[in-house]
Amino acid sequence: MRKVLLLSCLLLAACERGPGAPPVDQPPPLAELLAGDAEAGYARATGSRDFSFPADHGPHAGYRNEWWYLTGNLDGEDGRRFGYELTLFRFLLAPEPPAGGDDWRSHAVFVGHFAVTDVAEEAFHVAERVARGAGGLAGATSDPVRVWLYDWSLRTGGSGEFGVNWQLVAHGDEAGIELTLVPQRAPLLQGEGGLSQKSAEPGNASWYYSVPRLKTTGVLRVGARRHEVSGLSWLDREWSTSALAADQAGWDWFALQLDDGSDLMYYNLRRLDGSRDPYSAGSLRRADGSVVRLGADDVELEVLDRWDSPAGGSYPSGWQLRVPGELLDLRVRPVLEAQELDTFVRYWEGAVDAYGTRGTTRIGGRGYVELTGYAEGATTLRP
Amino acid sequence: MRTLRRASVGYLWRHPWQLLLALLGIVTGVAVIVAVDLANASSQRAFELSMDAVTGSATHQVVGGPGGLADATYVALRVEHGVGRLAPVVESYADVDGRTLRLLGVDPLAEGEFRDYTQPDATGADGRAVLATLLTVPGSVLLSADAAAAFGLADGDAFTLEVDGMRRDAQVAGTLPDGAGLRNLLVADIATAREWLGRGGRLTRIDVRLEDAGEVERLRDLLPPGVQLLDAPGRTRSVAELSRAFTVNLTAMSLLALLIGVFLIYNSISFAVLQRRELIATLRALGLTRGQAMRLVLGEALALGASGAVLGLAAGAWLGDELLALVSRSINDLYFRVTVSSVSLDALTLFKGLAAGRLATLVAGASPAAEAAGYAPRLGQARATLEARAGRLLPRLTVAGGVLALATLPVLLLSGKALVAGLAALFMAVLGLALTIPALVRLLVTGLAGLAGSLFGGMARYTVAGIGAQLSRTGVAIVALAVAVSATVGVSTMVGSFRAAVGDWLDGTLQSDLYVNAVRGSLAPERVDELVAVDGIEYWSSSRRAWLENERGRTRLIVLRMAPRSYAGTELLDASPEEVWPAFENQGAVLVSESYAFANDVAAGDSLRLPTDRGERAFRVAATFRSYDANPEAVIMSRSIYDLFFDDDRVDGLGLYLADGADADAVAAALGRVAGGRQSLEIRSNAELRSLSLDIFDRTFVITDVLYWLAVGVAIVGTLAAMLALQLERARELATLRALGVTRLQLGSMVTLQSGLIGAFAGIAALPLGLLMAVLLIDVINRRAFGWSMAVEIEPGVLGFALALAAGAALLAGLYPAWRAGRSDPALAMRED
Repeated sequence: MRKVLLLSCLLLAACERGPGAPPVDQPPPLAELLAGDAEAGYARATGSRDFSFPADHGPHAGYRNEWWYLTGNLDGEDGRRFGYELTLFRFLLAPEPPAGGDDWRSHAVFVGHFAVTDVAEEAFHVAERVARGAGGLAGATSDPVRVWLYDWSLRTGGSGEFGVNWQLVAHGDEAGIELTLVPQRAPLLQGEGGLSQKSAEPGNASWYYSVPRLKTTGVLRVGARRHEVSGLSWLDREWSTSALAADQAGWDWFALQLDDGSDLMYYNLRRLDGSRDPYSAGSLRRADGSVVRLGADDVELEVLDRWDSPAGGSYPSGWQLRVPGELLDLRVRPVLEAQELDTFVRYWEGAVDAYGTRGTTRIGGRGYVELTGYAEGATTLRP
Repeated sequence: MRTLRRASVGYLWRHPWQLLLALLGIVTGVAVIVAVDLANASSQRAFELSMDAVTGSATHQVVGGPGGLADATYVALRVEHGVGRLAPVVESYADVDGRTLRLLGVDPLAEGEFRDYTQPDATGADGRAVLATLLTVPGSVLLSADAAAAFGLADGDAFTLEVDGMRRDAQVAGTLPDGAGLRNLLVADIATAREWLGRGGRLTRIDVRLEDAGEVERLRDLLPPGVQLLDAPGRTRSVAELSRAFTVNLTAMSLLALLIGVFLIYNSISFAVLQRRELIATLRALGLTRGQAMRLVLGEALALGASGAVLGLAAGAWLGDELLALVSRSINDLYFRVTVSSVSLDALTLFKGLAAGRLATLVAGASPAAEAAGYAPRLGQARATLEARAGRLLPRLTVAGGVLALATLPVLLLSGKALVAGLAALFMAVLGLALTIPALVRLLVTGLAGLAGSLFGGMARYTVAGIGAQLSRTGVAIVALAVAVSATVGVSTMVGSFRAAVGDWLDGTLQSDLYVNAVRGSLAPERVDELVAVDGIEYWSSSRRAWLENERGRTRLIVLRMAPRSYAGTELLDASPEEVWPAFENQGAVLVSESYAFANDVAAGDSLRLPTDRGERAFRVAATFRSYDANPEAVIMSRSIYDLFFDDDRVDGLGLYLADGADADAVAAALGRVAGGRQSLEIRSNAELRSLSLDIFDRTFVITDVLYWLAVGVAIVGTLAAMLALQLERARELATLRALGVTRLQLGSMVTLQSGLIGAFAGIAALPLGLLMAVLLIDVINRRAFGWSMAVEIEPGVLGFALALAAGAALLAGLYPAWRAGRSDPALAMRED
């Protein structure tokens, strides 16, 4: 869900706020943009839909925003710990394909963010790419599913019990990945049958599903050194046209793979006044495959620590996360504090560890957390 | 010494005329140097700025053949090989309201590291919306605030422009920031630029940023055959280099003006020394050393030089502004498009001007200073002794001049193709021969005086002999005038010969009846097919002009599709048409221009390696051909061979041969109708094209004209100074003559006659000197600068004009001294002595 705001910021000048001022004091950046006619002509996420895989892994043309979002925690053969994030965003600058006729004429722009967390070296390597969705430079296809931005790509290839496998390739100057992802569970529809409502207004919603547990193997490169790695990844897929209400400031998103076989996703939407938005939501898939939907009141979140970004802004850095209904009580800690992406929009996205109890049983896990709305966005375009 | 300086200042102050003339010499000389340098530097700088602006921070550029690069090359680098720091570019020109802008098609999403001005947040309000507009709205552009204001456009306004001769709809998406080189820039998304240019799937180049040699090699290995990775600054230089010979020649002209300025300074300073000969001799008797006397005079010269140079800089800045328009117009006509908005006054130009001024005064002041130092420490020294000294000096001067002139031969023989050495030889020859003029004058005067005496009596004899007797004055005037006039002879003869050669060449080359080309652009093959299908056309030829580039530089390629009558239009210099044309059409042989052959030591039978879209290939040279094109070094290839080696189907121009009885006007009208409303065409008859070409030729030499008239101006002033000095010096002598009963009228006539004779001697000396200069300009300078050869054509009119100019200038300069001589009061003048 957080990506809605992110994407909108990527494209629209409204995120260019002056430095220094705390974001919560700012007028809601997206209010004007997401209101009125901005969405006219685009498809909206309303009602219900029949998800079909692998077709829905591919692009959904009429919506303004769409993304393929992968995070994972990996271990090298020597036990060295890594995290990675690879996100490919597609967004449209206009509802209809433009006239003109040149092969490079396009209303679609792809943005990619790629980050590798190297825990042993306490290093965080970020790369960002932007390209038009035309001329073969960047694009998304359904059959076979392939999403690429220059040389970064994810594609499906082969399949197993729980659906298609994924191949990921991304290289930045400092780090790279070449990974194969095999799903361990079927896709999980978030929200109401995949419709994730973000605020009261009808249509302020996205289609949202996750593949929370993907067994991951392959090669991760840091500098010139290549590591054979294995671990678990999480795929989030979302497409929408508009979502946010005027009074929403940011969010804290959690995706945790717990060692009892359960997967927890929860986003805590923050309002401008600092309070929790009632549309905050999530899900817990138990080890037996049953799914519990979580509402704002089902989750308790307590910030334990903070991290001040050298670029400005202060992020929460450590939480006590409780789901009383599920007897789940977890402490969530970043594996490294400095996992901030200083990209178009500045945000924190990093690998975390979780440990605590479920009832009386000790439980652990790994996952990713995303924090937005705590710092100013950078405003320059960089390829 | 301070007392002496004060005396100097006082002296010059009491003789403002001399001060003025000396200053004028330096000011004019320095001004012309500075002006030419400014005009050259400003147009080069404007060009480099605009190149830098479009090159951005690229270290290298990936380029293809004349048809550009395929998109696939770029996509493969990005997607398959993961090469970052690349920015694709499509570049051309667009005309808006009669103003030509550089059209730069970019991918705004790949631009960040290259050209920050294309970045949305650099464009002011709501940058991201600007980006969205650029990408999604066809025809949307960014333009400079300056251009927007000139066209009366605001953000969001629609307007029309012309690209490749076709009218296109555009709209202002935003404005570019103010910046060097951005004033005449139009930035669009690559898709817009290609839609306008009809060049789908092709890029002009890819800008690249590479850190080290290893990266260069890695990228080079990834490129397909025919695609080159070139150093970006080197590319800019090689384009700028095109006009180098042109600017070097202008600089040479400005040096000529300075040379004449040196004569003028010499005149004034030595006159000032002469006037004070008694004072200096007395001071020497009182203990002034030789060194001090010398320093005194040199000090005066340098002080004059410094102040003159400063004034010269100011005058040069003004003159440079005027010249700039001429220079940049010629560069636009001939080489590349450059819009110079301002004169850029840089430190180097100023330094050159000041240094030239100082050096000139030092050179000019050296001999008078030595003269002053040579005064014996006793009271008074007669004019006669002085002239006797000058007389003793004369043989030495003559010998030195002769040696200098002769030395040009080894310089020419040993310097190969070096242009600067050629110019040095030219100056040596002119200066050397000029130094021998006084001796010749003395000889001539001795003979003439006797003749005049026997024909017209004593007064006539006295008048003529006076010139020889006062050679230290008259000699300088004659030399200065002769050099200036010879420059007009030399340059006029060169230009005239050149023009005649170009005219003949055009007559031969322009074989077609009608010529068609797109306005600032090219013709698509479909358009060519439509045009040549017009009734009344019997045959047609086509041409394409392109640059081939590789690490070694740029090669001008002219691609010709010949019609049966076209072959006669190319004058072959070293092979027979029967052998050349079949090889050219069927065996892939190429022709090289005379200039190309000269510069690259290539001749018929040699082989030439050229970069093609299929990689580098060897082509046999079938012959050398004559060409006076502004880009003289060129290679001609047949269209059929070109099509095999290059992915480029466009044509720049068509030559149409009309069927018997077809009416050229009717065919031209039909051609216009065929293209009507879609593409603006320039349709010209061969006569029109011929006169247009000659107009451009003439425009190029307007600058030359301006410069040599400046030189003539300096020479007239110099002659005036010399005549005035002579009269002032001879005041007592003239007074004596008056006292002896010579009338005012007779005195005035005498001075006027002397002026006329000085002019006549200068004119006579100027003719051979000028012709020599013409020969050197044609056979050495033009040859070395452009590789052209041509016959020397001597026009009697030019020679006659030179004689008249010399005599007229001298008479004009003698008017005031004559009037003054007639008016002098004998009693007063005699008392003064």
